[in-house]
Amino acid sequence: MLRMTLAGVNHKKTPIEIREKLAYPKDHLNQVIRNLSAQEGVLECLVLSTCNRVEIITITTGNNPDPVFFLDFLKTTHPALSQINIAPYLYHLTGEEAVRHFFEVTASLDSMVVGEPQITGQVKEAYERAKSLGHTGLFLNQLFQRAISASKRVRTETAISHLPVSISYAACQLARKIFQTMGDKNVLLLGGGDMAQLTARHMKKMAVRSLTLMTRDASKGMALAREYEAIYRSFDEIEDCLSESDMIVCSTGAENYIVTPELAEHALAKRGRRSMFLIDIAVPRNIDPAVGRIGNVFLYNVDDLKAVVEANQKEREFEAHAAGVIIQEEIHSFARWQENRSSVPLIQALRKHTETIRQAEMERFQGTLATLPPEAREKIEIMTKSLLNKILHPAFQTIRHSPGSEELCEWTMKCYGLPESALDTPTEDTPRDRSADSAPIPFLKGESPA
Amino acid sequence: MQRTEGWVIPSERVQYLEVPLSSFEILLIKITAGFYFGAFVLLLGDLLFSRVKHGSLVGVTAGVGGVLVHTLALFIHFTSMGHIALATLREAISFFSWSLVISFLYLEHQRKGSVLGLLIFPVSFGGLLFVLGSGVKAGPVKEGAGSLLVMLHSILIDLGLASATIAFFLSILYILLETLLRRKIFNTLFNRLPSLEFLDRLNREFNGLGFLFLTLGLVFVIIWSYGTSGTLWPWGQRGSWAFLVWFLYLGIVLLRLKKGFQGRQAAYLSIVGFLLFVVTILAVNLFVGGGHSVL
Repeated sequence: MLRMTLAGVNHKKTPIEIREKLAYPKDHLNQVIRNLSAQEGVLECLVLSTCNRVEIITITTGNNPDPVFFLDFLKTTHPALSQINIAPYLYHLTGEEAVRHFFEVTASLDSMVVGEPQITGQVKEAYERAKSLGHTGLFLNQLFQRAISASKRVRTETAISHLPVSISYAACQLARKIFQTMGDKNVLLLGGGDMAQLTARHMKKMAVRSLTLMTRDASKGMALAREYEAIYRSFDEIEDCLSESDMIVCSTGAENYIVTPELAEHALAKRGRRSMFLIDIAVPRNIDPAVGRIGNVFLYNVDDLKAVVEANQKEREFEAHAAGVIIQEEIHSFARWQENRSSVPLIQALRKHTETIRQAEMERFQGTLATLPPEAREKIEIMTKSLLNKILHPAFQTIRHSPGSEELCEWTMKCYGLPESALDTPTEDTPRDRSADSAPIPFLKGESPA
Repeated sequence: MQRTEGWVIPSERVQYLEVPLSSFEILLIKITAGFYFGAFVLLLGDLLFSRVKHGSLVGVTAGVGGVLVHTLALFIHFTSMGHIALATLREAISFFSWSLVISFLYLEHQRKGSVLGLLIFPVSFGGLLFVLGSGVKAGPVKEGAGSLLVMLHSILIDLGLASATIAFFLSILYILLETLLRRKIFNTLFNRLPSLEFLDRLNREFNGLGFLFLTLGLVFVIIWSYGTSGTLWPWGQRGSWAFLVWFLYLGIVLLRLKKGFQGRQAAYLSIVGFLLFVVTILAVNLFVGGGHSVL
């Protein structure tokens, strides 16, 4: 009997001081996986190590490895941890709960920032690493494929990934609420700070009509303008630039207001009172707050953008509930696959047993058969095989339609005289095939850990 | 026969315009009302509870179902009357409800903006309740009701009112979104609303469309009036109100085009225009009376 176990620590329960000690350096991971797979009963394994979590997945025969197994393993692979008691931080999941957790992690529902896309890539990387070392089999392959599929569904069927959770993206989100399209909009960046550069990158992605950069330091401004394919203009032209710009991002180091209500009012009048969207991410602020009170002018500062991010975080968490339905569907789909797989060992054993009988009978009549022409012998060979298939077909159908039925399994074995050991015999030696032909992890049947 | 011979349905076919609805028509209108109400509930449920990306699709589909049944009901009614019958308030409101939902589905096709459906479906549903409530009374023939010119007039005024209603709803959504943006309230409703620019552009388009329908509607009724009575100004208070609304819409269009009115100012203008339109219709139909019943 195969069992899946997942154990680890994550950002929810474990402080950063412990997490940073438990995270495996990338160049150690291959050795860690080798060590894990060398443990008794471990057929397949996967290690996920990021700044927010360290998780170990094992597929084993017999009982689930207990938490002590994982604690010991973590201590062995982190000698410096021997002085720290990590038991209170460790979670240990088996069966359906382990599958659910893995699906949720892959779909970024368990992340610190729910919906962030990096974790899916990290899971892929962890899987590829284990696969390249030959420590994944049919079970983990299938689990990974379905986790990725669940993750894609969550991203496409819910709005979880459409709510920005970074300040610069939040500015773009607000821009989309004011302007229908950015393709015909002029964007002005006042100042060349990090935030302005980040915004410039997003604006390029949004394919704005023009990007204008304005800095006090002309040489730096021109260099940045070249980098972001923007137009450089000096601060003396601010009045004209304001009236030509639909969106203005301000992040200079100036200690006074650069954009005053008079300047904004003048610019608005000059542009026929078409809406202006101003973002002031400078501290101290560069745009007079009174500008925000002018009609058709929308002004936001860095705190406002943080409020957008917080609201989006909450919305994402709400979206995660809808994603739970998708995860549940994928778990059921995985369980069905498991159940279907459960009929394979019995069918294989039955086929092998009857084939042995057929061959023995053919052997018994070898003397008689030898007198026949080769064509006749071949026809008899075909006929006996066909006969066997036709007799066994209804039995195979019944087994396939009742996956996991222990009663049917017992009856079939008794009826056909199959030995007890018939189901345990692996067809090949690799972990991959052993897990493929073994019985499923009955995680929907409430299997408890050892 | 009247003077505009050839443009008039024979009088015996329009002897009793306000005939009771047949039981089949009532059934179809009830089904349509059910669809419209269902669409509203589904869209509201989607806004409040669902976080599924295309959750509004079910509500929109209910709207499509409703409009198909409604189209069948209108077709059966017009067939039974022998012409496009919009002469009574009941008929006009049914057609108006249908026009609103059609406009919503068109906008939904252009850009997913199901929030507008939350305003449109209750109005259309309410319109159908009125139709069902007034569907059993018979009334006398109305002057000019069978004339092609009056029919065109009724259709165009109905479509004009539908456009003004949509512009009114778009204005409300504009003011709502602008308020949320100014007060920095970033909730679910905020996330579901389309951009200010989009709302403003649609507002301008629907006001322009409304003005066009209203103008053509009045032109047709003037031609009909001249043809029947030889006068261009036959309706007294009714005509005065109608031209007041027309001038107001002309003002809206000119302020938009010439003075660059947009955003909140344009939204307020649009709301005033719509309210005056509705007041005119109610005043004309309920208090003023007149030679013909044209919505």
